[in-house]
Amino acid sequence: MSDENHRLIPLWMWVAVACAAVGAAVWLALNSRRPDPPESFRYDVGEFEQVEPERVIAIELAPITPGIPGLRALAATPDGALLVAGEKTLLVCGLDGVERVRYALSTTPECVAAAPNGRILLGTVNHVEVRDPAGKPEHSWAVPGERAHLTSIAADESSVYVADAGNRVVLRFDYGGELQTRIGEKDAARDIPGLIVPSPCFDVAFDNTGAFWAVNPGRHGLEQYRPSGELVSAWYRPSMAPDGFCGCCNPAHMAFCSDGALVTAEKGLVRVKLYSVDQKLLGFIAGPAAFRATPGGPFSPELDMPVLDLAVDAQDRILVIDGRANAVRVFQVKEPH
Amino acid sequence: MSAGNTVRRRDFLRAAAALGVGGAVWKAAAPAAGATVWQLDPQKCVQCGRCATECVLSPSAVKCVHSYQICGYCDLCGGYLQPSARDRDTGAENELCPVSAIKRTYIEDPFFQYTIDEALCVGCGKCVKGCALFGNGSLYLQVKQDLCVHCNECAIAKACPGDAYRRIPAEQAYLLKTRPEGGNGQE
Repeated sequence: MSDENHRLIPLWMWVAVACAAVGAAVWLALNSRRPDPPESFRYDVGEFEQVEPERVIAIELAPITPGIPGLRALAATPDGALLVAGEKTLLVCGLDGVERVRYALSTTPECVAAAPNGRILLGTVNHVEVRDPAGKPEHSWAVPGERAHLTSIAADESSVYVADAGNRVVLRFDYGGELQTRIGEKDAARDIPGLIVPSPCFDVAFDNTGAFWAVNPGRHGLEQYRPSGELVSAWYRPSMAPDGFCGCCNPAHMAFCSDGALVTAEKGLVRVKLYSVDQKLLGFIAGPAAFRATPGGPFSPELDMPVLDLAVDAQDRILVIDGRANAVRVFQVKEPH
Repeated sequence: MSAGNTVRRRDFLRAAAALGVGGAVWKAAAPAAGATVWQLDPQKCVQCGRCATECVLSPSAVKCVHSYQICGYCDLCGGYLQPSARDRDTGAENELCPVSAIKRTYIEDPFFQYTIDEALCVGCGKCVKGCALFGNGSLYLQVKQDLCVHCNECAIAKACPGDAYRRIPAEQAYLLKTRPEGGNGQE
Protein backbone atom coordinates (compact mmCIF):
# COMPACT_ATOMS: atom_id res chain seq x y z
CA MET A 1 0.00 0.00 0.00
CA SER A 2 1.42 3.38 -0.93
CA ASP A 3 1.79 6.47 1.30
CA GLU A 4 -0.81 8.30 -0.86
CA ASN A 5 -3.47 5.78 0.18
CA HIS A 6 -2.63 6.50 3.81
CA ARG A 7 -3.18 10.22 3.21
CA LEU A 8 -6.70 10.00 1.79
CA ILE A 9 -7.69 11.57 5.13
CA PRO A 10 -4.89 13.94 6.02
CA LEU A 11 -3.34 13.97 9.45
CA TRP A 12 -4.54 17.45 10.31
CA MET A 13 -8.14 16.27 9.79
CA TRP A 14 -7.62 13.41 12.24
CA VAL A 15 -6.24 15.89 14.76
CA ALA A 16 -9.21 18.23 14.22
CA VAL A 17 -11.71 15.42 14.70
CA ALA A 18 -9.92 14.29 17.87
CA CYS A 19 -9.91 17.86 19.24
CA ALA A 20 -13.59 18.24 18.43
CA ALA A 21 -14.40 14.97 20.20
CA VAL A 22 -12.41 15.95 23.29
CA GLY A 23 -14.03 19.42 23.27
CA ALA A 24 -17.50 17.95 23.00
CA ALA A 25 -16.79 15.54 25.83
CA VAL A 26 -15.51 18.34 28.06
CA TRP A 27 -18.50 20.56 27.17
CA LEU A 28 -20.97 17.78 27.93
CA ALA A 29 -19.23 17.01 31.19
CA LEU A 30 -19.19 20.61 32.36
CA ASN A 31 -22.56 21.75 31.01
CA SER A 32 -25.28 19.60 32.52
CA ARG A 33 -28.09 22.08 31.77
CA ARG A 34 -31.15 20.45 30.35
CA PRO A 35 -33.84 21.97 28.21
CA ASP A 36 -36.50 24.08 29.88
CA PRO A 37 -39.72 22.30 30.73
CA PRO A 38 -42.01 22.30 27.72
CA GLU A 39 -45.06 24.48 27.36
CA SER A 40 -47.35 21.58 28.22
CA PHE A 41 -45.90 21.48 31.75
CA ARG A 42 -46.75 25.11 32.46
CA TYR A 43 -49.91 26.24 34.20
CA ASP A 44 -50.98 29.45 32.56
CA VAL A 45 -53.92 31.63 33.53
CA GLY A 46 -52.50 34.67 31.78
CA GLU A 47 -55.49 35.14 29.52
CA PHE A 48 -57.80 35.33 32.54
CA GLU A 49 -55.59 37.81 34.34
CA GLN A 50 -55.97 40.35 31.58
CA VAL A 51 -58.79 42.81 32.15
CA GLU A 52 -59.53 45.36 29.45
CA PRO A 53 -59.24 48.88 30.91
CA GLU A 54 -62.79 49.73 29.82
CA ARG A 55 -64.11 46.93 32.02
CA VAL A 56 -62.62 48.49 35.16
CA ILE A 57 -65.40 50.75 36.39
CA ALA A 58 -63.82 52.12 39.56
CA ILE A 59 -60.98 54.38 40.49
CA GLU A 60 -58.74 53.80 43.45
CA LEU A 61 -58.56 56.44 46.16
CA ALA A 62 -55.93 56.88 48.84
CA PRO A 63 -55.71 53.78 51.06
CA ILE A 64 -56.39 53.74 54.76
CA THR A 65 -53.49 52.45 56.84
CA PRO A 66 -54.76 51.91 60.37
CA GLY A 67 -51.37 50.97 61.79
CA ILE A 68 -52.56 47.62 63.13
CA PRO A 69 -50.45 44.55 62.37
CA GLY A 70 -52.19 41.67 60.69
CA LEU A 71 -55.34 43.35 59.42
CA ARG A 72 -58.03 40.71 59.32
CA ALA A 73 -61.59 42.03 59.25
CA LEU A 74 -63.49 45.09 58.16
CA ALA A 75 -67.03 46.47 58.42
CA ALA A 76 -68.78 49.76 57.77
CA THR A 77 -71.40 51.21 60.10
CA PRO A 78 -74.57 52.85 58.77
CA ASP A 79 -73.62 56.15 60.42
CA GLY A 80 -70.36 56.55 58.55
CA ALA A 81 -67.67 54.84 60.53
CA LEU A 82 -65.38 51.92 59.84
CA LEU A 83 -64.58 49.01 62.10
CA VAL A 84 -61.15 47.58 61.39
CA ALA A 85 -59.84 44.55 63.25
CA GLY A 86 -56.33 43.17 63.33
CA GLU A 87 -53.96 41.56 65.74
CA LYS A 88 -55.75 41.77 69.12
CA THR A 89 -57.03 45.21 68.20
CA LEU A 90 -60.29 46.79 67.09
CA LEU A 91 -60.17 50.25 65.62
CA VAL A 92 -63.11 52.57 64.98
CA CYS A 93 -62.28 55.26 62.47
CA GLY A 94 -64.03 57.71 60.18
CA LEU A 95 -64.40 57.19 56.47
CA ASP A 96 -61.30 59.35 56.05
CA GLY A 97 -59.35 56.84 58.14
CA VAL A 98 -58.92 59.16 61.10
CA GLU A 99 -58.88 57.11 64.27
CA ARG A 100 -61.76 57.65 66.72
CA VAL A 101 -61.16 54.96 69.26
CA ARG A 102 -59.05 51.84 69.61
CA TYR A 103 -59.79 48.78 71.73
CA ALA A 104 -57.29 46.19 72.88
CA LEU A 105 -58.69 42.67 72.59
CA SER A 106 -57.66 39.43 74.22
CA THR A 107 -57.75 37.52 70.91
CA THR A 108 -57.59 38.42 67.25
CA PRO A 109 -61.01 38.58 65.62
CA GLU A 110 -61.74 36.63 62.46
CA CYS A 111 -64.70 38.84 61.56
CA VAL A 112 -66.45 42.02 62.60
CA ALA A 113 -69.85 43.55 61.88
CA ALA A 114 -71.88 46.61 62.74
CA ALA A 115 -75.43 45.90 63.83
CA PRO A 116 -78.26 48.29 62.87
CA ASN A 117 -78.81 49.04 66.55
CA GLY A 118 -75.29 50.41 66.81
CA ARG A 119 -73.77 47.39 68.52
CA ILE A 120 -70.41 46.02 67.44
CA LEU A 121 -70.12 42.29 66.80
CA LEU A 122 -66.85 40.41 66.89
CA GLY A 123 -66.27 36.81 65.92
CA THR A 124 -63.17 34.91 66.94
CA VAL A 125 -62.53 31.31 65.89
CA ASN A 126 -65.32 29.93 68.06
CA HIS A 127 -66.76 32.84 70.06
CA VAL A 128 -69.12 35.71 69.39
CA GLU A 129 -68.81 38.94 71.33
CA VAL A 130 -71.37 41.74 71.38
CA ARG A 131 -70.28 45.24 72.37
CA ASP A 132 -72.52 48.24 72.93
CA PRO A 133 -72.21 51.29 70.66
CA ALA A 134 -69.64 52.74 73.06
CA GLY A 135 -67.48 49.64 72.65
CA LYS A 136 -68.17 48.18 76.09
CA PRO A 137 -68.44 44.35 76.08
CA GLU A 138 -72.02 43.30 76.68
CA HIS A 139 -72.18 39.61 76.10
CA SER A 140 -70.25 36.77 74.56
CA TRP A 141 -70.89 33.13 73.91
CA ALA A 142 -69.20 30.08 72.45
CA VAL A 143 -70.36 28.61 69.19
CA PRO A 144 -71.31 24.93 69.49
CA GLY A 145 -69.22 22.28 67.78
CA GLU A 146 -65.59 21.24 68.17
CA ARG A 147 -64.79 22.20 64.61
CA ALA A 148 -66.22 25.71 64.80
CA HIS A 149 -64.32 28.21 62.69
CA LEU A 150 -66.13 31.52 62.29
CA THR A 151 -65.37 33.47 59.15
CA SER A 152 -68.14 36.05 58.90
CA ILE A 153 -70.78 37.72 61.00
CA ALA A 154 -73.84 39.85 60.17
CA ALA A 155 -76.74 41.13 62.18
CA ASP A 156 -80.20 42.66 61.88
CA GLU A 157 -82.31 44.20 64.64
CA SER A 158 -83.10 40.92 66.34
CA SER A 159 -80.57 38.29 65.26
CA VAL A 160 -76.88 37.63 64.85
CA TYR A 161 -75.93 35.42 61.89
CA VAL A 162 -72.60 33.65 62.14
CA ALA A 163 -70.89 31.80 59.28
CA ASP A 164 -69.20 28.71 60.69
CA ALA A 165 -66.89 27.35 57.99
CA GLY A 166 -65.73 24.47 60.18
CA ASN A 167 -69.23 23.04 60.51
CA ARG A 168 -70.45 24.36 57.12
CA VAL A 169 -73.46 26.07 58.56
CA VAL A 170 -74.83 29.50 59.31
CA LEU A 171 -76.00 29.87 62.91
CA ARG A 172 -78.68 32.40 63.80
CA PHE A 173 -78.55 33.55 67.43
CA ASP A 174 -80.55 36.14 69.32
CA TYR A 175 -78.55 38.88 71.00
CA GLY A 176 -78.48 36.84 74.19
CA GLY A 177 -76.56 34.06 72.47
CA GLU A 178 -79.49 31.65 72.23
CA LEU A 179 -79.30 29.56 69.08
CA GLN A 180 -82.42 30.09 66.96
CA THR A 181 -81.82 28.40 63.62
CA ARG A 182 -79.21 26.34 61.80
CA ILE A 183 -79.19 27.54 58.21
CA GLY A 184 -77.82 25.94 55.06
CA GLU A 185 -77.48 22.30 56.07
CA LYS A 186 -78.38 19.78 53.41
CA ASP A 187 -82.08 18.95 53.62
CA ALA A 188 -83.70 17.23 50.68
CA ALA A 189 -87.17 17.61 52.21
CA ARG A 190 -86.81 21.40 52.21
CA ASP A 191 -84.97 21.43 48.88
CA ILE A 192 -81.79 22.80 50.42
CA PRO A 193 -78.69 21.57 48.55
CA GLY A 194 -76.38 22.29 51.46
CA LEU A 195 -73.46 24.63 51.93
CA ILE A 196 -70.16 23.40 50.49
CA VAL A 197 -67.30 25.07 52.32
CA PRO A 198 -63.92 23.55 51.40
CA SER A 199 -61.85 26.27 53.09
CA PRO A 200 -62.32 29.11 55.58
CA CYS A 201 -63.78 31.41 52.91
CA PHE A 202 -67.43 31.71 53.82
CA ASP A 203 -69.20 35.05 53.93
CA VAL A 204 -72.66 36.24 54.93
CA ALA A 205 -74.33 39.64 54.46
CA PHE A 206 -77.64 41.50 54.25
CA ASP A 207 -78.68 43.24 51.06
CA ASN A 208 -80.34 46.65 50.89
CA THR A 209 -83.80 45.12 51.37
CA GLY A 210 -82.77 43.34 54.54
CA ALA A 211 -82.64 39.90 52.92
CA PHE A 212 -80.01 37.54 54.27
CA TRP A 213 -77.46 36.04 51.84
CA ALA A 214 -74.78 33.41 52.34
CA VAL A 215 -72.02 32.53 49.91
CA ASN A 216 -72.00 28.90 48.89
CA PRO A 217 -68.33 28.79 47.88
CA GLY A 218 -68.31 25.17 46.75
CA ARG A 219 -71.12 25.88 44.32
CA HIS A 220 -69.65 29.23 43.26
CA GLY A 221 -72.62 31.39 44.06
CA LEU A 222 -74.93 32.90 46.61
CA GLU A 223 -78.00 31.66 48.41
CA GLN A 224 -80.72 33.70 50.08
CA TYR A 225 -82.38 32.36 53.23
CA ARG A 226 -85.27 33.34 55.44
CA PRO A 227 -84.58 33.57 59.20
CA SER A 228 -86.36 30.24 59.56
CA GLY A 229 -83.76 28.62 57.31
CA GLU A 230 -85.95 28.31 54.21
CA LEU A 231 -84.01 28.72 50.99
CA VAL A 232 -85.52 31.61 49.04
CA SER A 233 -83.31 31.78 45.98
CA ALA A 234 -79.85 30.91 44.73
CA TRP A 235 -77.58 31.69 41.84
CA TYR A 236 -74.37 29.92 40.94
CA ARG A 237 -71.82 30.78 38.30
CA PRO A 238 -68.87 28.33 38.23
CA SER A 239 -66.51 29.51 35.51
CA MET A 240 -63.12 31.05 34.87
CA ALA A 241 -64.86 33.59 32.65
CA PRO A 242 -64.99 37.18 33.90
CA ASP A 243 -68.60 36.94 35.07
CA GLY A 244 -68.05 33.62 36.89
CA PHE A 245 -66.40 32.39 40.04
CA CYS A 246 -63.56 29.90 39.78
CA GLY A 247 -61.61 27.67 42.11
CA CYS A 248 -63.06 25.76 45.00
CA CYS A 249 -63.99 28.60 47.33
CA ASN A 250 -65.30 31.63 45.53
CA PRO A 251 -66.62 34.24 45.93
CA ALA A 252 -64.53 34.47 49.06
CA HIS A 253 -66.15 37.74 50.21
CA MET A 254 -69.21 39.78 49.36
CA ALA A 255 -70.96 43.00 50.32
CA PHE A 256 -73.96 44.94 49.05
CA CYS A 257 -74.20 48.56 47.92
CA SER A 258 -77.07 50.80 48.97
CA ASP A 259 -78.87 50.15 45.66
CA GLY A 260 -78.59 46.38 46.03
CA ALA A 261 -75.65 45.90 43.69
CA LEU A 262 -73.37 43.08 44.81
CA VAL A 263 -69.62 43.38 45.25
CA THR A 264 -67.59 40.16 45.31
CA ALA A 265 -63.94 39.41 45.97
CA GLU A 266 -62.28 36.21 44.81
CA LYS A 267 -59.15 34.43 45.91
CA GLY A 268 -56.78 32.63 43.59
CA LEU A 269 -57.40 34.81 40.59
CA VAL A 270 -57.87 37.88 42.76
CA ARG A 271 -60.69 39.96 41.33
CA VAL A 272 -63.15 42.41 42.85
CA LYS A 273 -66.30 42.66 40.76
CA LEU A 274 -69.63 44.44 40.77
CA TYR A 275 -72.90 42.71 39.88
CA SER A 276 -76.34 44.23 39.32
CA VAL A 277 -79.32 43.05 41.37
CA ASP A 278 -80.20 40.64 38.56
CA GLN A 279 -76.73 39.06 38.71
CA LYS A 280 -75.25 40.67 35.61
CA LEU A 281 -71.59 41.61 35.76
CA LEU A 282 -71.37 45.40 35.69
CA GLY A 283 -67.60 45.50 35.67
CA PHE A 284 -64.40 45.09 37.62
CA ILE A 285 -63.66 47.17 40.66
CA ALA A 286 -60.10 45.87 40.49
CA GLY A 287 -58.50 43.13 38.42
CA PRO A 288 -55.73 40.68 39.32
CA ALA A 289 -53.06 43.17 38.28
CA ALA A 290 -54.09 45.50 41.10
CA PHE A 291 -53.09 42.88 43.68
CA ARG A 292 -49.80 41.64 42.22
CA ALA A 293 -46.77 41.73 44.48
CA THR A 294 -44.77 42.67 41.41
CA PRO A 295 -46.73 45.06 39.19
CA GLY A 296 -47.02 43.45 35.79
CA GLY A 297 -45.32 40.31 37.05
CA PRO A 298 -46.62 36.77 37.19
CA PHE A 299 -48.72 35.37 39.99
CA SER A 300 -46.66 34.42 43.02
CA PRO A 301 -48.40 32.27 45.65
CA GLU A 302 -45.70 33.21 48.12
CA LEU A 303 -45.99 36.95 47.70
CA ASP A 304 -49.47 37.63 46.42
CA MET A 305 -52.13 37.55 49.08
CA PRO A 306 -55.85 37.47 48.54
CA VAL A 307 -58.28 40.09 49.64
CA LEU A 308 -58.85 39.37 53.32
CA ASP A 309 -62.16 41.19 53.75
CA LEU A 310 -64.53 43.42 51.88
CA ALA A 311 -67.03 46.11 52.87
CA VAL A 312 -69.12 48.86 51.32
CA ASP A 313 -69.22 52.06 53.35
CA ALA A 314 -71.99 54.63 53.84
CA GLN A 315 -70.81 56.52 50.73
CA ASP A 316 -70.96 53.33 48.63
CA ARG A 317 -67.21 53.21 48.38
CA ILE A 318 -65.76 49.72 48.18
CA LEU A 319 -63.16 48.87 50.80
CA VAL A 320 -60.91 45.84 50.70
CA ILE A 321 -58.19 44.64 53.03
CA ASP A 322 -55.03 44.04 51.03
CA GLY A 323 -53.10 41.52 53.12
CA ARG A 324 -49.78 42.16 51.42
CA ALA A 325 -49.97 45.91 51.91
CA ASN A 326 -51.67 45.50 55.33
CA ALA A 327 -53.94 48.38 54.37
CA VAL A 328 -57.54 49.09 53.49
CA ARG A 329 -57.70 49.94 49.83
CA VAL A 330 -60.53 52.23 48.78
CA PHE A 331 -62.31 52.15 45.42
CA GLN A 332 -65.00 54.44 44.08
CA VAL A 333 -67.25 53.44 41.19
CA LYS A 334 -66.83 55.99 38.40
CA GLU A 335 -70.42 56.13 37.17
CA PRO A 336 -73.67 55.42 39.04
CA HIS A 337 -74.79 51.90 38.26
CA MET B 1 -21.30 -37.38 72.59
CA SER B 2 -21.77 -39.55 69.52
CA ALA B 3 -19.67 -39.14 66.39
CA GLY B 4 -22.78 -38.12 64.33
CA ASN B 5 -23.35 -35.02 66.46
CA THR B 6 -19.79 -33.76 66.25
CA VAL B 7 -19.49 -30.39 64.45
CA ARG B 8 -16.66 -30.61 62.05
CA ARG B 9 -14.33 -27.66 61.66
CA ARG B 10 -15.18 -27.31 57.92
CA ASP B 11 -18.92 -27.04 58.67
CA PHE B 12 -18.27 -24.56 61.41
CA LEU B 13 -16.21 -22.34 59.11
CA ARG B 14 -18.88 -22.55 56.38
CA ALA B 15 -21.61 -21.49 58.81
CA ALA B 16 -19.48 -18.67 60.17
CA ALA B 17 -18.71 -17.43 56.65
CA ALA B 18 -22.39 -17.56 55.67
CA LEU B 19 -23.29 -15.63 58.80
CA GLY B 20 -20.65 -13.03 58.06
CA VAL B 21 -21.69 -12.54 54.44
CA GLY B 22 -25.37 -12.38 55.41
CA GLY B 23 -24.67 -9.79 58.07
CA ALA B 24 -22.66 -7.69 55.65
CA VAL B 25 -25.47 -7.77 53.09
CA TRP B 26 -28.04 -6.83 55.72
CA LYS B 27 -25.81 -4.02 56.96
CA ALA B 28 -25.38 -2.67 53.44
CA ALA B 29 -29.08 -2.87 52.66
CA ALA B 30 -30.36 -1.32 55.87
CA PRO B 31 -30.09 2.47 56.15
CA ALA B 32 -27.32 3.41 58.48
CA ALA B 33 -28.07 5.55 61.48
CA GLY B 34 -27.92 9.15 60.32
CA ALA B 35 -28.49 8.25 56.65
CA THR B 36 -30.28 10.95 54.68
CA VAL B 37 -32.28 11.11 51.46
CA TRP B 38 -33.28 13.88 49.10
CA GLN B 39 -36.75 15.30 49.55
CA LEU B 40 -38.74 18.26 48.27
CA ASP B 41 -40.25 20.74 50.71
CA PRO B 42 -43.79 21.38 49.42
CA GLN B 43 -43.88 24.75 51.15
CA LYS B 44 -40.96 25.96 49.02
CA CYS B 45 -41.96 24.35 45.72
CA VAL B 46 -42.69 26.87 42.97
CA GLN B 47 -44.03 24.30 40.49
CA CYS B 48 -41.53 25.25 37.78
CA GLY B 49 -41.71 21.89 35.99
CA ARG B 50 -38.01 21.08 36.40
CA CYS B 51 -38.67 18.04 38.59
CA ALA B 52 -39.95 16.40 35.42
CA THR B 53 -37.04 17.37 33.20
CA GLU B 54 -33.96 17.46 35.46
CA CYS B 55 -34.16 14.06 37.17
CA VAL B 56 -31.67 11.48 35.91
CA LEU B 57 -34.57 9.05 35.69
CA SER B 58 -37.17 9.14 32.98
CA PRO B 59 -39.89 9.47 34.05
CA SER B 60 -38.79 11.39 37.10
CA ALA B 61 -38.70 9.94 40.61
CA VAL B 62 -40.76 12.95 41.67
CA LYS B 63 -44.48 12.27 41.72
CA CYS B 64 -47.57 14.15 42.67
CA VAL B 65 -49.15 13.00 45.92
CA HIS B 66 -52.57 13.91 47.22
CA SER B 67 -53.62 14.75 50.75
CA TYR B 68 -57.24 13.69 50.92
CA GLN B 69 -57.43 15.29 54.34
CA ILE B 70 -56.86 18.70 52.79
CA CYS B 71 -58.74 18.21 49.51
CA GLY B 72 -62.06 19.95 49.06
CA TYR B 73 -63.27 17.28 46.58
CA CYS B 74 -64.28 20.16 44.33
CA ASP B 75 -66.27 19.76 41.16
CA LEU B 76 -64.47 22.74 39.61
CA CYS B 77 -60.99 21.47 40.54
CA GLY B 78 -58.10 23.75 39.62
CA GLY B 79 -55.72 20.80 39.70
CA TYR B 80 -57.75 18.64 37.35
CA LEU B 81 -59.37 20.99 34.84
CA GLN B 82 -57.80 23.26 32.28
CA PRO B 83 -58.34 26.92 33.17
CA SER B 84 -60.28 27.27 29.93
CA ALA B 85 -62.16 23.98 30.24
CA ARG B 86 -65.55 24.20 28.58
CA ASP B 87 -67.07 21.46 30.68
CA ARG B 88 -66.42 20.00 34.08
CA ASP B 89 -65.99 16.42 33.00
CA THR B 90 -63.36 13.83 32.17
CA GLY B 91 -63.02 14.87 28.53
CA ALA B 92 -59.38 14.85 27.48
CA GLU B 93 -59.70 18.40 26.19
CA ASN B 94 -60.69 19.55 29.68
CA GLU B 95 -57.93 17.76 31.59
CA LEU B 96 -55.02 19.78 32.88
CA CYS B 97 -52.55 16.93 33.36
CA PRO B 98 -50.44 16.53 30.19
CA VAL B 99 -50.23 12.76 30.75
CA SER B 100 -53.73 12.21 32.12
CA ALA B 101 -52.40 10.90 35.41
CA ILE B 102 -55.28 12.18 37.55
CA LYS B 103 -58.47 10.17 37.78
CA ARG B 104 -61.73 11.90 38.65
CA THR B 105 -64.41 9.85 40.39
CA TYR B 106 -67.91 11.03 41.28
CA ILE B 107 -68.70 10.68 44.99
CA GLU B 108 -71.95 12.61 45.53
CA ASP B 109 -73.24 15.97 44.41
CA PRO B 110 -71.10 18.07 44.11
CA PHE B 111 -68.06 16.09 45.29
CA PHE B 112 -65.43 14.33 43.21
CA GLN B 113 -62.41 12.35 44.30
CA TYR B 114 -59.09 12.80 42.54
CA THR B 115 -56.48 10.05 42.58
CA ILE B 116 -52.99 10.06 41.09
CA ASP B 117 -51.88 7.28 38.79
CA GLU B 118 -48.24 7.20 39.86
CA ALA B 119 -47.17 5.12 36.89
CA LEU B 120 -48.26 7.91 34.54
CA CYS B 121 -47.25 10.94 36.61
CA VAL B 122 -44.10 12.68 35.37
CA GLY B 123 -43.84 15.13 38.27
CA CYS B 124 -44.33 18.29 36.23
CA GLY B 125 -46.32 19.95 39.03
CA LYS B 126 -48.85 21.54 36.71
CA CYS B 127 -51.74 20.21 38.79
CA VAL B 128 -49.95 21.34 41.97
CA LYS B 129 -49.93 24.90 40.72
CA GLY B 130 -53.60 24.80 39.75
CA CYS B 131 -54.51 23.37 43.14
CA ALA B 132 -52.41 25.91 45.02
CA LEU B 133 -53.82 28.79 43.02
CA PHE B 134 -57.51 27.96 43.27
CA GLY B 135 -57.83 25.17 45.83
CA ASN B 136 -56.57 24.08 49.21
CA GLY B 137 -53.13 22.94 48.05
CA SER B 138 -53.88 19.26 48.60
CA LEU B 139 -51.82 18.20 45.57
CA TYR B 140 -48.07 18.45 46.01
CA LEU B 141 -44.84 16.87 44.81
CA GLN B 142 -42.62 14.40 46.64
CA VAL B 143 -39.53 12.40 45.73
CA LYS B 144 -40.65 8.76 45.81
CA GLN B 145 -37.90 7.01 47.71
CA ASP B 146 -38.66 3.64 46.13
CA LEU B 147 -37.90 5.13 42.70
CA CYS B 148 -35.12 7.58 43.58
CA VAL B 149 -31.61 6.32 42.86
CA HIS B 150 -30.19 8.57 45.62
CA CYS B 151 -27.62 10.46 43.61
CA ASN B 152 -25.01 12.07 45.75
CA GLU B 153 -25.72 15.38 44.02
CA CYS B 154 -29.39 15.50 43.05
CA ALA B 155 -29.76 16.94 39.55
CA ILE B 156 -33.15 18.44 40.40
CA ALA B 157 -31.89 20.02 43.61
CA LYS B 158 -29.15 21.70 41.58
CA ALA B 159 -31.68 23.20 39.18
CA CYS B 160 -34.49 23.96 41.63
CA PRO B 161 -35.22 27.71 41.55
CA GLY B 162 -37.15 27.53 44.82
CA ASP B 163 -34.32 25.88 46.77
CA ALA B 164 -36.94 23.34 47.81
CA TYR B 165 -34.70 20.27 47.94
CA ARG B 166 -32.85 19.21 51.03
CA ARG B 167 -31.59 16.03 52.62
CA ILE B 168 -33.73 14.66 55.40
CA PRO B 169 -33.36 11.62 57.67
CA ALA B 170 -34.10 8.36 55.84
CA GLU B 171 -36.29 7.22 58.72
CA GLN B 172 -38.73 10.04 57.90
CA ALA B 173 -38.23 10.21 54.18
CA TYR B 174 -41.28 12.29 53.24
CA LEU B 175 -42.40 15.83 54.00
CA LEU B 176 -46.12 15.25 54.07
CA LYS B 177 -48.70 17.98 54.16
CA THR B 178 -51.30 17.91 56.89
CA ARG B 179 -54.52 19.84 57.23
CA PRO B 180 -53.77 23.36 58.41
CA GLU B 181 -55.66 24.90 61.29
CA GLY B 182 -58.94 26.19 59.95
CA GLY B 183 -58.62 24.06 56.84
CA ASN B 184 -61.74 22.25 55.88
CA GLY B 185 -61.13 19.34 53.57
CA GLN B 186 -64.07 17.01 53.29
CA GLU B 187 -62.95 13.89 55.14
